[in-house]
Amino acid sequence: MKTTFLSKTGLFVGGIALLAAASLPATVSAQSILTYKGKDREAKLIAGAKKEGALTIYSALTVNQALRPLADGFQKKYPFIKVDFWRGSSRKIAQKVLAERRADSLVADVLEGSGLSQIMVKAKSVVPFSTPYANNIAKKYRDENNLWVASRFSYFGTAYNQKIIPAGTQPKTYADLLNPKWKGKIAWRIGSETGALLFISNVRMAMGEKSATAYFAELSKQGLINFKGSARTLVNRVVEGEYPLAIQIFAHHPVISAKKGAKIGVQMMQPVPSVNGTIMVPKGVKNAHAAMLFIDYYLSKAGQNVLKKARYFPVVTGIDPRKELTSITPRLANLKENYVKPETLFKLRKGSQKIFKKYFKHGKTVIVKRKKKKKKNNK
Amino acid sequence: MTTPNRSVSNGLLLGARLRNLFSVSPIVVVLASILLVLIAPAVIFLFQSSLHETQFDGSFGAFTFQYYVDLLTSDQFLTNLINATIYAVGSAAVAISIGVLLAWIVERTNTPGGGWVLIISIISLGIPSVLYTISFLMLLGKVGPANEILMWITGAEDPLLNVYSLWGMIIIEGIEFAPLSYLLLSSVFRSNDASFEEASMMSGAGILQTFRNITLRLAQPAILALLILIFIRAFESFETPALVGLPGNVSVITTDIYESIDEVPANYGQAGAFSVVLLFIVGGLLVWYNRLSRNAERFQTITGKGFRPRVMDLGKWRWLTGAILALLFMIIIGFPIGIVLWVSMVPYYDGVSLEAVKLFTFDNYRTVFNSRSFHDSIGNTVIMGAAAASIVAPFTALCAWLTVRRYKGAWILDQLATSPLIFPAIVMGVAFLQVFLNLPFGLYGTLLSIILASMVRYLPYGMRYSYAGILQIHTELEEASSMSGARQTTTFLRIVMPLVAPAMVTCWLFVFLVSVKAVSIPILLAGPKSQVVAITLFDMWENGITNELAAMGVTWTGFMTIISLIFYMLAKRYGLSVR
Repeated sequence: MKTTFLSKTGLFVGGIALLAAASLPATVSAQSILTYKGKDREAKLIAGAKKEGALTIYSALTVNQALRPLADGFQKKYPFIKVDFWRGSSRKIAQKVLAERRADSLVADVLEGSGLSQIMVKAKSVVPFSTPYANNIAKKYRDENNLWVASRFSYFGTAYNQKIIPAGTQPKTYADLLNPKWKGKIAWRIGSETGALLFISNVRMAMGEKSATAYFAELSKQGLINFKGSARTLVNRVVEGEYPLAIQIFAHHPVISAKKGAKIGVQMMQPVPSVNGTIMVPKGVKNAHAAMLFIDYYLSKAGQNVLKKARYFPVVTGIDPRKELTSITPRLANLKENYVKPETLFKLRKGSQKIFKKYFKHGKTVIVKRKKKKKKNNK
Repeated sequence: MTTPNRSVSNGLLLGARLRNLFSVSPIVVVLASILLVLIAPAVIFLFQSSLHETQFDGSFGAFTFQYYVDLLTSDQFLTNLINATIYAVGSAAVAISIGVLLAWIVERTNTPGGGWVLIISIISLGIPSVLYTISFLMLLGKVGPANEILMWITGAEDPLLNVYSLWGMIIIEGIEFAPLSYLLLSSVFRSNDASFEEASMMSGAGILQTFRNITLRLAQPAILALLILIFIRAFESFETPALVGLPGNVSVITTDIYESIDEVPANYGQAGAFSVVLLFIVGGLLVWYNRLSRNAERFQTITGKGFRPRVMDLGKWRWLTGAILALLFMIIIGFPIGIVLWVSMVPYYDGVSLEAVKLFTFDNYRTVFNSRSFHDSIGNTVIMGAAAASIVAPFTALCAWLTVRRYKGAWILDQLATSPLIFPAIVMGVAFLQVFLNLPFGLYGTLLSIILASMVRYLPYGMRYSYAGILQIHTELEEASSMSGARQTTTFLRIVMPLVAPAMVTCWLFVFLVSVKAVSIPILLAGPKSQVVAITLFDMWENGITNELAAMGVTWTGFMTIISLIFYMLAKRYGLSVR
């Protein structure tokens, strides 16, 4: 057999791997703390975390409202752990962690994000863990193989600029979006698991495949604008008047903006798609004890209240979101909800991607010259 | 010519014979091996990644041609190729038009204010390309001053310009290449013989007619070569297509490469196939370009005694050309810097208006200066640039010396060190990404990985400076040293290095400046702990943190402009090319 450069490298890598395997026992016991259920669990975790002394979190939570307060609160509780966090979109987190694992230079200890779990599961890059705090979460929001637990809920709706579209005249149902008067006025996010793809998957689940395909064929005539950027930025653009309507946005974003005085409203269309973020531990984690302490903290009342204060939707039963978010929380506002499990989201992904490519990928950005006088107030 | 002293000539012959006797010098072997180790794995992994199925976890699977088949049979590829071609041709046309105008006005006419043009070159070397592109997006965007003025003039209700389009890309990239175009054309115009133009004027032709029929015609070969060079650079560029094209759904090959890697899971196979195809296209174009401009660049040394041709007296028309000069200056430097300064001083960007002046604040600067992640980013960038430059400068000095002194086999060093030129930056990023993912050194996501990739990328630039510097040194100085009994190493260290020091310092500064501007390499390699300024700015734009971006950009550009100024002063002092 001809030895190629790669196979020579393979031998070299193999040699290193053997050496690494020889030192495996130490890592195995570190990993087993992740599922340890003994009575002295907490003591063991603290002892181990003292030795580790560090923790790196990759999360998609907003920095100033949620991620930093969580990190600070955790650091206060365990001052011997130096906490480092990195905020990225769920997609970027998945990319980075997969690449880090591939290159054998894993940095992250805890992962948190929306739409992250199935990719990590399929890539066999996360490991099971257990914590007594998870019992406070309803069973359907936990993975049956213990690879993730829900970290937050997200509900999606349509944001609309109330200066351009006065309250009351906005589209109220998915069918309303097909009205020709919205042509060229609707933007949605691409490059995210919870953007266009989730919209498509939700409609497929709600209407059935056949009706859904007919719906998308009609919707594609509306010239949807493909926006590649964060969800928050898209909503900001709606506030600025750049796009009158944005569908499939996190419903709490316009609520927060409206509270600051922006003329923006949110319309929940039924069924309201909902997903949960997940919290996971990557395979080969370096600071396993610190990671578990953090997950415990996150799922504790203290952690969940940080989430609540930051206007996220807590996952622990008994902790409701803030009052101003009641109108967009389906179970509190009597709205029909379509909870899309991570596995389902993942299963429908390929089909939804195909639909997107077929009907929406090459939609051009349309600039519409409005005949009606509705001058955008620049001042 | 004086007859050389017999003993000296004997000594020379002996030295030459000795060198040939020992065939390839060990130093050449060592350097060549280092270069091979740095460059070869990247090339190999790049090809491998395109020929093997990408598994879910990123590893290589079965051998397959599928990625190439998919690529060559896809409509999308053809569209993007056409987009890239139109974009590149357009940018080159815009850049050359501006460059010709600028060069002619400054070099061949008595227009006042020609010296200001140097400021354009200095600042454009210092400003990060991300920031420069973003500044035009602010100027030409929906709420920007360009649209405001147009709407005011035409009375339109909606913004008329959509900068996120192919034409937007062409204009912005064209303006971005204008300084380079000016630099290259100015040396052409400067060395033109004025007698042709004088003959034309004396025969009764007007200024414009002379310009069109004589000046331009004489400069045609240079313009053609420049056209191709800018075409190539635009074709392989990434920043402008990513920031301007992608939001408008206009894709080119380089953005396709990036998007393939941006998928989850990353489609390394597709990225690899795109990269290889782009590599061949760009390689072919470069071969053609080299043939056209043979000997034009390599021997650029002290410009020496070339006399300045007589400039044309435009009479009262020089005020018009002066105005044009001022306008071009504003377009290339004034407006971009101005808008970034503006945005850095307001809490949110909603267009340029008198009311907004009341909101002026230094808050954005305060945030930037107080933020730890900004400090980290700037620190990382300085380290990266300094490290890359510190390795490239002496390394290429040594390679250039061995090559110029015709050590046996040293031509290989020249070839190897110049070979990274055919790699578009994004392709080099992909190649090195594969290296760091597949080799077990734990380098992925580290600053060192960016330093290594940047080093390789800027080797050719280093070579050019070092080569020019070494050519300036006459061999007799080294021969005198050998005659006095010094070994080769001593001669190199104590005679050559001090003499080539100015060229090396200039080289160091140049490599530092261009490596910190780059986006295409760090965007694929940077991890959370190795963020650099160009990527921080890129991310901030995508996340809508515009005002802080502007503050950071202004601060960073300020520092880089100072370094760029030092570079220009040194280059002028020692007569080195600033390209």
